[in-house]
Amino acid sequence: MRDVAIVGVGMHPWGKFEGKNFIDLGVDAVAKALADAGMKWEEIQTICSGIFIWGGNAGHLSGQYIASVFGETGVPIVNVYAACATGSSAMRTAYMSIASGQVDVALCLGVDMSPKGVLTAKSDNPQQDMDVLRWRMVGLSNPPYWALECKKRMEKYGTTERDLADVKVLLSKYGSQNPNARYKKLYTRDEVLGSVMVCDPLRLYEICATSDGAAALILCAADKAKEYASKPVKVAATTIGSSIYGDPTLRISALSAPAKAEAPLLSESYSASRQAYEMAGIGPEDVDVLELPDNSSWHYLQYLETCGFCGEGEAEKMLAKGETEIGGKVAVCPSGGFSSFGEAIGAQAIWQVAEVVTQLRGQCGPRQVKNARVGMAQTYGLMGNSGTTILEV
Amino acid sequence: MSQQEQAANAVPAYPGLFTEAQDGVHLMSARCGDCGTHFFPKNHQQHRPGCSRGPVDEVLLHRKGKLASFTTLHYMPPKPFKTEKDITPFPMGMVEFPEGIQVVGIITDCSQDDLKMGMEMETVAYTLYRNEDGQRVQTWGFRPVK
Repeated sequence: MRDVAIVGVGMHPWGKFEGKNFIDLGVDAVAKALADAGMKWEEIQTICSGIFIWGGNAGHLSGQYIASVFGETGVPIVNVYAACATGSSAMRTAYMSIASGQVDVALCLGVDMSPKGVLTAKSDNPQQDMDVLRWRMVGLSNPPYWALECKKRMEKYGTTERDLADVKVLLSKYGSQNPNARYKKLYTRDEVLGSVMVCDPLRLYEICATSDGAAALILCAADKAKEYASKPVKVAATTIGSSIYGDPTLRISALSAPAKAEAPLLSESYSASRQAYEMAGIGPEDVDVLELPDNSSWHYLQYLETCGFCGEGEAEKMLAKGETEIGGKVAVCPSGGFSSFGEAIGAQAIWQVAEVVTQLRGQCGPRQVKNARVGMAQTYGLMGNSGTTILEV
Repeated sequence: MSQQEQAANAVPAYPGLFTEAQDGVHLMSARCGDCGTHFFPKNHQQHRPGCSRGPVDEVLLHRKGKLASFTTLHYMPPKPFKTEKDITPFPMGMVEFPEGIQVVGIITDCSQDDLKMGMEMETVAYTLYRNEDGQRVQTWGFRPVK
């Protein structure tokens, strides 16, 4: 296996873009990544693309439709799906293509244009699509899954409504400084606590929206990276985790979970992060910048523990002490997080990596983490999907 | 109306998930004879690694369990969820059964203020709407034991 670096990043801003289609957004992100690397399209030797699930056959072949705009060259195109960790799968596939020695340059991209309102079932066929049952029988959209886990956390560790609100307050500060963010308003604790209750204890501003967005990365064999980037960012690890038997999390899509924990909560993310620490020889104590999947305030707190940044029940203390702020122990979501961007299923994992690259290059202006050398991007996907990427300069 | 007539006038929104027995409504689970894991729904098998995957026998869960978590939903879930009228806000929760499995469902016959973590809950049938034949279309639900 040989070393791999990121030499180009590009992103289409996050928001709602009616009238555009997924190809428009994807092409924009890829064109920016190519320009960033100073690379010609014909130099791309393989393409790993996140599947756009709301786009029918075309969306399932997103890589083909986006590649044809730049000019078809016959290179391998792999389209992958792993729910909200789709981009992590694309990233790992691109990485492996280079690390194995098969190609020197790979493009990794993801795009999503979310349907309006709350996400819902993709079919009405419970026999094949077991995901339908949660909607039809219980009306279970994603936020109540998070609320049920959050309630357990409050009971176990004494997490307060103020803690949940303070997550949003901090993230809104960073989002307001990020030109690509969808939500740039600063919030006070009272404003967050005054927002509509969605599913107790989670309020509107404590749950991420669904957005349109696209992001692209260009990966390159490390020994050739200097040809394209003055400051290549090394991929120290990129992993995928799946769930472990006995995980007590009520996983999105499922209707049941074991009562007795024999594995950690969010075991797929525990697995992905521990694989990454081992692969990189880097631990959470070395990480300067962490982009975690803050689908809700609960996720922000829980993931600090799941990924080993603090012990169980200690995330609230980390937050209150300012340890998760820029300038603290580890800057958590200095991008503004999903809280400021919203979810864009196929794109978000790649966007997180692009944000970390931008930090490690020192290009983040007012929200720059000083002397950032090691960054980590962590994802969380439905039914036990997760990916961790650790980058270093 | 007799219990039989009542049952005849109700259909599940999807079969094979809950059933009415002599003593009331039970969730339909399955248990692996090798690893001992209970599944719900019964065809969502999640065996322990190394298990020979069977034999898997259909079993009914206990009617009663403990409330492991709960929330109140303040917005109407999108289709394919269907009820006769807007039922928001309504509680839903996870009930832990003696078999070692937690199951999620709508909570009925109480307000959120009545709910406390760990309280005893029982399984019931919950009517979502009436179909064109006038039958009650049902799912499972939970309510506090009185």
